[in-house]
Amino acid sequence: MILELYAGIGFSAVALILFFRSNKMMNAVSTMNALAHLILSGYVLLNMTLPAYYGDNRYFFIDHLGIYEVIIISTIFFFSAVYSKGYLEGSIRIGELSPSNTRLYYVMVNLLLSSMAFVFFANNLALFWILAELTTVFSALLIVTLNAKKNIGAALKYVFITSSCMLFSFIGLIFLFALSEHALGYGTLNWDVLMSNAALFSPKILFAAFALIFVGYASKTGVVPFHGWLPTAHSKALAPTSAILSGCVTSIGFYGIIRMYAIASKTPALTQASWLLIIFGLLSMAVAAFNMFSQKNLKKLIGFSTIENMGIMLVGLGIGTPIAVFWVLFHILAHSLTKGLLFLSTGIIHHQYESVRIENIRNLFKLQPLASLGLFAGCLAIIGMPPFAIFLSKLFILTEVVKATSSAMLAIVLLLLFVGSSAYVTFLITMFLQIDDEKTAKRMEKYRADIGLKLTIVALIAIVLFLGIGFPQYLNDVLTTIVKELGFM
Amino acid sequence: MLSAFDPDIFIKVLINLILITAAIIILKRDIVSLVSTYVIQSFFLAMLALLLYVEERNIMLIYIALLTIASKVIIIPRFMNHIQKKLNIKRDIEYHYLTPKQSIIICVVIIMAVYVFLSRILAELALDKTVFFGATVGVSLTFMGMVAIFSRKQTITDIIGYLTMENGVLLFSLFLIKLPLIIEVLIIVDVIILTLLATMLAFGIDSTIEEFHTKLHPFKNGNVRPKQYNTAKARIYRRPAEVE
Repeated sequence: MILELYAGIGFSAVALILFFRSNKMMNAVSTMNALAHLILSGYVLLNMTLPAYYGDNRYFFIDHLGIYEVIIISTIFFFSAVYSKGYLEGSIRIGELSPSNTRLYYVMVNLLLSSMAFVFFANNLALFWILAELTTVFSALLIVTLNAKKNIGAALKYVFITSSCMLFSFIGLIFLFALSEHALGYGTLNWDVLMSNAALFSPKILFAAFALIFVGYASKTGVVPFHGWLPTAHSKALAPTSAILSGCVTSIGFYGIIRMYAIASKTPALTQASWLLIIFGLLSMAVAAFNMFSQKNLKKLIGFSTIENMGIMLVGLGIGTPIAVFWVLFHILAHSLTKGLLFLSTGIIHHQYESVRIENIRNLFKLQPLASLGLFAGCLAIIGMPPFAIFLSKLFILTEVVKATSSAMLAIVLLLLFVGSSAYVTFLITMFLQIDDEKTAKRMEKYRADIGLKLTIVALIAIVLFLGIGFPQYLNDVLTTIVKELGFM
Repeated sequence: MLSAFDPDIFIKVLINLILITAAIIILKRDIVSLVSTYVIQSFFLAMLALLLYVEERNIMLIYIALLTIASKVIIIPRFMNHIQKKLNIKRDIEYHYLTPKQSIIICVVIIMAVYVFLSRILAELALDKTVFFGATVGVSLTFMGMVAIFSRKQTITDIIGYLTMENGVLLFSLFLIKLPLIIEVLIIVDVIILTLLATMLAFGIDSTIEEFHTKLHPFKNGNVRPKQYNTAKARIYRRPAEVE
């Protein structure tokens, strides 16, 4: 019943958007759709006994991890929908977006939300794969909402890299299916069955399957060396799309990795799987951190920082202690919200200067004080300064790194984090200090951002701060339950 | 009467033929024949599924054969030929990083590596020799498709590379497992959607084709006009400086 409700809400939203013509109405429908997803997920979390299974073959299920992810994405979709109204109007005004493409944008946003919700509800790993591929299609079409050649190039790159890598994941899934057939007498890709019987599987084949599946999911997450699409796609897309790509779409791949790692953790393949995650995590952090230094484009900088954060999360997951997994899960939430804040603040800057390249941004504090504040708070938050939310997750992941491995590993991780943070700080200082004298400063007209844009930024700053200062007890309980359900505790 | 008919030999022949089609895809430059090679490859795959049915009597194999023919022999190639005519690109002559000869050498290395890898990993499953051979070619085909994507410039050729990869996965799965029908159908739908999307995007981006044509025929139209244009532009820009 609940799943039908999710599907029904999603389809009615798309149908209504096809019916309406004005940006205002289409936007209202999108906002309501995201809000409905949020409320429904809140209801499921509070009132239902989880995990709940659906379908004769139990192809779908809702467990705490799934619903937690859906709540995160609905929140980001909600904020980007509120933001989109004014932003799309602005984009049309500066001639960046063709008015006829607004419908494409809204249809794709809503289809992406629905498909993502079902990705997180898929119990069957093949179905998860299929739905994840579908999200690639919708995200690619969102990137080409801006009809520029560069956007089409970025979308093609995204489609080719992720889809080709995802085919290797499918080979891994075939391994897994064959493995279950061999061990259980019947083949299955249902996660719950695989989890409960993981101990029966051959560790060697299981690790091969894990590594192959990792390739595809890593490409969707933006893990190095499969990250080629991420910075381009993030920088070329519309600001609300970038927020969704960075905060939501990357978490699909990571979610898949968590599920696979949970299966591996039940077997002797755990050690190899852990090292695989840690190595790729460190590699991503290193490549991202050093690339961030040379960036002149603000959105690309934030894009690379997404790769860096995925790296931290991989390292945390690879450590695999209950505390590390707990804080990785919290990092998913904190990262999504912070990236939302950063990309949405950048959107206002983009409309002010019609560019996000550092050399074009002048007198930022004077012209766009709120966006500056959002960017400033977002940067402090993402590099892990207290009292913002990411401070907590980074701190505890680092503590677990030193407990589980060695202080040398801690030193490497800290060094990479330091490089990434200094790239942010350098960029920010340079950008804010580019101030012209009075005469030239007057020339540029101030871009008046819509109230929706401003409210979103204020709300996101408040949430990121709140999560860092007062860690809610209920969130603590939910995360602990997820860690238990995944079998880490 | 049927005892003389041994599907195993035909299966091996078909697997070899599929491998040859993959090599042709890496070597060929002419786009129309690339699409035809893909059609032949997919047709071989469908035949393979039917032969496996004779051996295993699993009805899923018939469905897979029918789905493969409908999607990969009819729908996808038709659409690609349609777009290709509109785009009017006949040949993909530019290669990134690798020449065709190097690509083929790399593919041989890949096949050997896959053989070693699979024989180590799958030893525990105690597979039949033909099954193991099919699985090896399947995974190798996936890598060969990737080599095609990596070494070609035109998006249309990249799409053929992706589709070859997908055929590799199908070949691999044919020998190892039987997924439920609904999953198989959804996978095919996914592949069709992705192909349509990539082809349409390719149609959008390939206005660079004009550049491509000027490069191809520098003496027909390219050389004269830009020069005149440049000198005119230079004159316009020089004037204010002279006044100053």
